[in-house]
Amino acid sequence: MSDGPEKQFDLSQRRLTTRQGIDTEELTGRTFPYQFDPGLVEGIDLQASTPGDDLNWLEDIHLMEEDGIPAVFDRYTNAFLKIHFDIPSGREDEFARKVLIKHLQEGNSYGIWLKHQHAKFPQPELGPWLTESATVGENWTPPTVERWDKSFTF
Amino acid sequence: MVAMNPPTEQDTRGVRNDIRGLAEPDAEAPKVARIEGGTATFDAADLSPRLVNLELRRLVYGEGVREIRVENPGAKHSIAVGLLARCRITINGSLGYFGATLGDGPEIHITGRVGWSVAENMMSGVVVIDKNAGSLTGAAMRGGDLVVRGHVGARTGIDQKGGTIIIGGNAGSMTGFMMQRGRQIICGDVGPGMGDSMYDGAIYVGGTVAALGVDCVEEELTPDDEELLDRKLGIYRMDRPDTFRKFVCGKQLYNYDNLEPSERKLVL
Repeated sequence: MSDGPEKQFDLSQRRLTTRQGIDTEELTGRTFPYQFDPGLVEGIDLQASTPGDDLNWLEDIHLMEEDGIPAVFDRYTNAFLKIHFDIPSGREDEFARKVLIKHLQEGNSYGIWLKHQHAKFPQPELGPWLTESATVGENWTPPTVERWDKSFTF
Repeated sequence: MVAMNPPTEQDTRGVRNDIRGLAEPDAEAPKVARIEGGTATFDAADLSPRLVNLELRRLVYGEGVREIRVENPGAKHSIAVGLLARCRITINGSLGYFGATLGDGPEIHITGRVGWSVAENMMSGVVVIDKNAGSLTGAAMRGGDLVVRGHVGARTGIDQKGGTIIIGGNAGSMTGFMMQRGRQIICGDVGPGMGDSMYDGAIYVGGTVAALGVDCVEEELTPDDEELLDRKLGIYRMDRPDTFRKFVCGKQLYNYDNLEPSERKLVL
């Protein structure tokens, strides 16, 4: 689960480019161990991690490719998460789904993390992939833009 | 406390919205549910949609209840919306429009009928409707299973981006209009314009098709398709028609040889 908005990601570490197709590593400024070690995701029970009697929404998740590297698309961040380990042949989608679920369950999805600042209504910090999630959005205030003065005219 | 909007015309009707557009911003969960052994039941007859939803959120988020039964929903609109946790909700009756929308995780069973746009924008979960549904069923759905045991109106799965829509009866015109991903399984007949301007995904039809839409073509079923049909209809205990036909995008309207990254993400 997330350590909170100030601890989860050190945004000073990231190096944003102007290219299209920004991936998770660029947004968060870091990588995650399960991108490199299949042993960290091997034991994930996909069936138990999703609603219903089959894979439910994971049925639409497949192994894809970003920058020539195998990757899984994280729809909650609108970014790809690259997978740097060798994936056993015939198990491409399975490992893509397991890496994604691990990423979500550990609270590392950048788009989900943004809930700390932008969630307008009380809701679970993480989604249905984790029970007993913390609540965010209880004290939302309208955002203000620094140095913005409504009386200012161009 | 969230700031309130300046007075609007709505205020004269006694309805207030805060700066987020939230109606009845000061409303609190009515706490009328009876909780017994992890299961909660409450009567929605005298509750506004806002209060019904607040009570559902209190039970799921606050009390950790995972089994809820709602009695007398009275065809109210926008019930059981925006629930972002695993839970099972049975709504004993019918809903109006935009029922069970924006869900990410809940498994919702509606024993009656539903109006427009049921399960619109569902991210994950299961929504089962025992009777008929109106138009725009599963509009812009992203994932999960949406099951209608009866008939549905027009534009089922319009702009669908994922998930599986399963219809036990017939579907109206423009089914799968601008569909981008996902699957539709329709056991009965389908009206004209099916799959018009669909971009990707598959529509399986057990009955007849009045007319195909622009750039929708028939394709051979594969063993994977047969497995999907058997699995989904088996899970929801629905009779499988003897034969199914599969319809997909003909890709004659594709304007891009290689999708730009941002455009590519829009359909993922």
